[in-house]
Amino acid sequence: MANIVVCYKWVLDEQDIKVNPGNLALDTSRAKSKISDYDRNAIEEAVLLNEKDGHKVTGLTFGVAGAKQSLKDALSRGPAEAVWVNDPVAAEADAFVTANVLAGALKKVGNYDVIICGEGAADTYAQQVGPRLAAVLGIPAITFVNQMSIEGDKVVATRKLGDCTETVTASFPVVVTVLPEINKPRIPSLKQVLGASKKPVTEIKLADLGLNPDDLKRKTTVKSLKGYAMTRKNVIYKDGSTAEKVAKLVAELAKEGAL
Amino acid sequence: MAGIWVYSEDVALVKQLLTIGREVAGTLNKPVAALTLSEADAADLAAETVYVLKGQNPWPESYVQAIADLAAKEAPDVIFVGATPRGKDLAAKLASILKAGLVTEAFKVSVENGAIETERMMYGGLAVCTEILQGLSLVTIPPRQYEPAAAGKGNVVTIDAATDVPVSVSNVCPIIREGADLASAEKVICVGRGLGKEDDLKIARDLAAAVGGEVGCTRSIAEDYHWLPAETYIGLSGVKVKPVLYLSMGVSGQVQHVAGIRDSKIIVGIDMNENALIFEAADYGIVGDLYDVVPALTEAIKQAK
Repeated sequence: MANIVVCYKWVLDEQDIKVNPGNLALDTSRAKSKISDYDRNAIEEAVLLNEKDGHKVTGLTFGVAGAKQSLKDALSRGPAEAVWVNDPVAAEADAFVTANVLAGALKKVGNYDVIICGEGAADTYAQQVGPRLAAVLGIPAITFVNQMSIEGDKVVATRKLGDCTETVTASFPVVVTVLPEINKPRIPSLKQVLGASKKPVTEIKLADLGLNPDDLKRKTTVKSLKGYAMTRKNVIYKDGSTAEKVAKLVAELAKEGAL
Repeated sequence: MAGIWVYSEDVALVKQLLTIGREVAGTLNKPVAALTLSEADAADLAAETVYVLKGQNPWPESYVQAIADLAAKEAPDVIFVGATPRGKDLAAKLASILKAGLVTEAFKVSVENGAIETERMMYGGLAVCTEILQGLSLVTIPPRQYEPAAAGKGNVVTIDAATDVPVSVSNVCPIIREGADLASAEKVICVGRGLGKEDDLKIARDLAAAVGGEVGCTRSIAEDYHWLPAETYIGLSGVKVKPVLYLSMGVSGQVQHVAGIRDSKIIVGIDMNENALIFEAADYGIVGDLYDVVPALTEAIKQAK
């Protein structure tokens, strides 16, 4: 039996974020939060491995006070317990900081054999925390995985790398980051949702991890965060017959040299 | 050697990175060094210094410690890494070993007031984050963002690299692609969930044949419906296309999808719903039933040619 720790991030739902068309400012005041989409694949993979071979699955997140809501959601997806590092630093954290904090939490919790992360976070999509976490812990990372299994004290995983695939085998402990195509996360059942609140949660304060202040300072300075302005012609043909609309489009595309 | 470093396991990408590397180095009055794993390609790289990392392991990821050791010794200001999957994996590990910042897939790199600034997407492509680099930093840069730099000649330095890694790699095999490479296609026809059934992919393929393009799709067509292979879905976590013509049918235009098409020269959307987000991202659009519009468009294009 392996101790599987699955890391996830509680992020703003980008579909609720509005962009002010004038100054391109982001309005997040009405945005709800969610478990990062790609991390749902990570949770599902941990749960599938448990269903197949019988492992212990623990959810791990680093978040601000509001991330408390995420615990029940995460646990309803199958992990047996959850660990939450609760600190406002999470709001400004980059992958450097997050990897340091998650590594600190894993060392504190102790038992970890397989650490599964999503390929990137739904908000930043920086794709760094998994491999950085492995480097901080001094263990291998297997990234871009679309298939994995646990065999004894080893992970055997298939990576998909654009022009090729390859199989990587590594002994415990190991970090694995999974591609969204690896599985299709289930929707939790009512029973699972109700059962989630009975599962144990450990809350850790950042101060208890013994990290030094430099480990908690993000590396780049954010100068601005603004809505992306897509400047396109927006010539939309709504009225008229299909033949008329098609004729207009073909004429424009020919003029653009796009045919 | 301090200055601007560029690295990729793919020498074609090293040449592209040298274009932005030289530009930044010129503004900051710093030297440029290229790192490569291929001795054969080292001779014509346009950098003052070309480091050839020579090790026993064919797995590019196994060179991370050797690059970290070299960087710790030579103290570059910034390292540009090609944003292939292998490059992104190596860059994250390298940044961690060096305790450095890393900007993933910057679409713009510039120098402002003597500091390097980067722009990258956030929230699935909804927003742009501008960051100022501080101290030793890494930036990954997508393939084909810059034209390759002209050939040059640098001082070639061969480094013996220790490449021991605690993993074993086997079964390395190419992915068999059904079509040509979408990422470099000149014309892309994209299908979304507005398409009723798998057999109807034919109307997309007919249009693709008429314009001489490739067929791609949205994530749900590949991952929920499995009508097309996962390699053909376009978007933030899929393929990013930059064709002369991108034409979608039955694609709603979610922000993550649009993030994969925004470098297209002309974007065309065809959809029933006149409020579909795709029309906000499009140069041209037709509001209508794709089953009427697309076959008519295919015929009209055939006649126009």
